[in-house]
Amino acid sequence: MFNFFSSTNIFLLIQKIIKFINSIFFLILVIGLTFALVLSPPDYIQGDSVRIMYVHVPSAWLGLACFSFITFLSILNFIFKIKNCYFINKSIAPIGLLFTCLAVVTGSLWGHPTWGTWWAWDARLTSMLVLMLFYVFYILVFKIIKEEELIIKISSIVAIIGSINLPIIKYSVEWWSTLHQPPSIKITGSSTIHSSMLLPLLVMLFVFMLYAALIFLMKYKTEIIRIKKKNIKRI
Amino acid sequence: MITEFISMNGYGLYVWLSFSIVFISCGIVYYKTRKTLKKYERDFLVELESLSIEDKKLALKTSKVAQQILATNSKIS
Repeated sequence: MFNFFSSTNIFLLIQKIIKFINSIFFLILVIGLTFALVLSPPDYIQGDSVRIMYVHVPSAWLGLACFSFITFLSILNFIFKIKNCYFINKSIAPIGLLFTCLAVVTGSLWGHPTWGTWWAWDARLTSMLVLMLFYVFYILVFKIIKEEELIIKISSIVAIIGSINLPIIKYSVEWWSTLHQPPSIKITGSSTIHSSMLLPLLVMLFVFMLYAALIFLMKYKTEIIRIKKKNIKRI
Repeated sequence: MITEFISMNGYGLYVWLSFSIVFISCGIVYYKTRKTLKKYERDFLVELESLSIEDKKLALKTSKVAQQILATNSKIS
């Protein structure tokens, strides 16, 4: 059972998954873009500017999901000292930063025609900016510190402190009066988004998830090769 | 019809700029990640080549990762 999780088996599996994602990615991207830019209807208030949602919302969700995952693995690593968590977190963090930056930038581009301003220091926007800064701190720990043990300790602390911000982001639109609209999609309870917009959003989310998986696997594969290179030197 | 599609009822600049920023950024990150991966694969092969024939045989025999990297790169070259 544990032999299956050896770096060699993981490496071979990664090769196959990367090939699979590469083979279907372009097709799903074209379907997603067709839905987002052509087939989905304009909003009755926001008009065609609502199409920004199809890149803004998946970016924000993935930015949050990546940090949640990093926090979970940091806690695991902190308690059980699983070295793989360190490599997974190192590979995920840049992806999370990319998506958080994209959520902030596309949110700003959506805000200008909708609210009449590029930026406002409201709770949702500011908490997303704080998340972006936590990603930057987290990545800097890996870049600046050389000792692995110290990296694990400090990065875990940054992730755990940063995770306090996650519920703030989620509930900011309910706790405070913000420019940002309240959530349209709820896991528990009825969503206020029409299916003609929900479907393109889910397809685009799938495209973004595939892209995130592809980048993560490539980065993780690079980490495995780096370790194997060290082992070869020992021969 | 095409002009209408591009202008998006006056929101074209915001919509196209958003999509462009997202896809250009993702493209750059993909390119850089792939480049780094290829660089590490090449470095690994250089390290493998620097070994004596005996050690190289041993490394290839014991490491499936080494076999895979060698196979992938020889396919490319």
